[in-house]
Amino acid sequence: MLEIRDLVCGYGHVTALKGLTIEVRAGQLVALVGANGAGKSTTLRAISGLVPARSGSIRLEGRDITGADPRRVLGHGIAHCPEGRRVFPQMSVAENLAMGAYLRRDKAGIAADLARIYGEFPRLAERRAQAAGTLSGGEQQMLAIGRALMARPKLVLFDEPSLGLAPNIVERMFSVIRAICDAGTTVLLVEQNAFAALELCDYAYLLETGRIVLAGKGADLIADPHVRDAYLGG
Amino acid sequence: MAEFYQHLLNTLVLGGTYALLGIGLTLIFGIMNVVNFTHGALYTVGAYLTYLAVAALGLNFFLALPAAILGGLVLGAAIELVLLRPLRGSDIDTTMLVMIGAGIVLQSGTLWLFGGVAKAIPTPFPEAPLQIGPVSVSWLRLFVLGAALTLIVLTYVLINRTRLGLAMRAAFQDHDTAALMGVNVRLIYTATFAIGSSLAAAAGALLGPVYVVFPQMGGMAELKAFAIVILGGLGNITGAAIGGFILALAEELGAGYISSGYRDAMGFLIIIAVLVFKPTGLFAKAERIG
Repeated sequence: MLEIRDLVCGYGHVTALKGLTIEVRAGQLVALVGANGAGKSTTLRAISGLVPARSGSIRLEGRDITGADPRRVLGHGIAHCPEGRRVFPQMSVAENLAMGAYLRRDKAGIAADLARIYGEFPRLAERRAQAAGTLSGGEQQMLAIGRALMARPKLVLFDEPSLGLAPNIVERMFSVIRAICDAGTTVLLVEQNAFAALELCDYAYLLETGRIVLAGKGADLIADPHVRDAYLGG
Repeated sequence: MAEFYQHLLNTLVLGGTYALLGIGLTLIFGIMNVVNFTHGALYTVGAYLTYLAVAALGLNFFLALPAAILGGLVLGAAIELVLLRPLRGSDIDTTMLVMIGAGIVLQSGTLWLFGGVAKAIPTPFPEAPLQIGPVSVSWLRLFVLGAALTLIVLTYVLINRTRLGLAMRAAFQDHDTAALMGVNVRLIYTATFAIGSSLAAAAGALLGPVYVVFPQMGGMAELKAFAIVILGGLGNITGAAIGGFILALAEELGAGYISSGYRDAMGFLIIIAVLVFKPTGLFAKAERIG
């Protein structure tokens, strides 16, 4: 579904990605793991068009989307749930979810998706009129996920969904993401919490300083000595 | 007591247009982070467009206001596209200097086109004021109040009840994430600047007939708009609306009970007082644009 070849991009003099090649197959949950600063977020930001590519290509279902702006990328069916949740703090929960469906015009479909998300996350339904900035971290993450789903995407990019959340909420978060994938939406997940991500995923890539150094099934990466030493605490 | 009621009535009339000025300026600052030094010039342009429509083209007075608003929208969009869009991402000082320059160009342009002699705009309203108990108000001023309140309500509805307004608030709160939601942020900037400019032009179109029209009239209006925005809190639309009425009240009471010479000083006294005692503005805790 998504094919990235030899992607190079960066900020100013810093080259964050030095020829990244990954593939995300339709229906899979693919994890991109690695240390802080390895280029995980940059990969997602490049896919969404927030960071320009210097060279290389990004293709979605065969169509070249390299250099497309975020609006067009979303229009092609890639939603992005950004790092740090980034809900609109002064908007209500309902307005945040409406922002997720900003490009859609099918009122009936939007209403149905909204009802589904409220059903999935009753806390959001209870607080639909409340300003998103007043929600707890876990609720904000649920809102950010719901907002991404409101676009009815083919592929969702999750950037560090577990960041700063309590362990029991992290667990719930990962089961929600697994459920999204099982319901038919392809997922590319970026995580620092390598063990959880590797257990969850169908396929994983290990990113080190802008390059993929290892790829395989989650269980294979967990068994890999280098991964064990560097990322799973031995 | 009658005098006091008269001051309150005058406050409403003046405050309505001040609120328009302030909302326009705070909208542009809040969403685009641009200190708009063409705001006063757009106020002047709005007044001259009304003069042009009514006195020169003989258009119906009530059509002049929509014409001025439209002119403000077009001119605002042009300024954004030509000057601000290429400067996006450059530092705030550069943008500020360019906007000061653009303001000077606009002001000199009106001087060049219309000359320095003040012009009066004829209105269709009867000369005799409306007497309500102890107070009196001209029909023109009543119209100005009604039109200003209507525009304030329309702006509020636009920002809080429409898709464009939702996108504007999203861009204001987090422009990267707004872009990820599919908002065309560049278009939102153009729309915001155009709408803010049209509100300044509307204020000029409304106050132009009340006073007279001259090329430098925007200078004081702009300073007052800054006072209102600082009073209400930067980027706070409700604050700017209330701030407009507070400034008008301060001016009316200052002029009425201290000396009419102090009328224009009230705005500056307010700026100083707010910066000393509550630099985030009176309504910092109230909801901002979003």
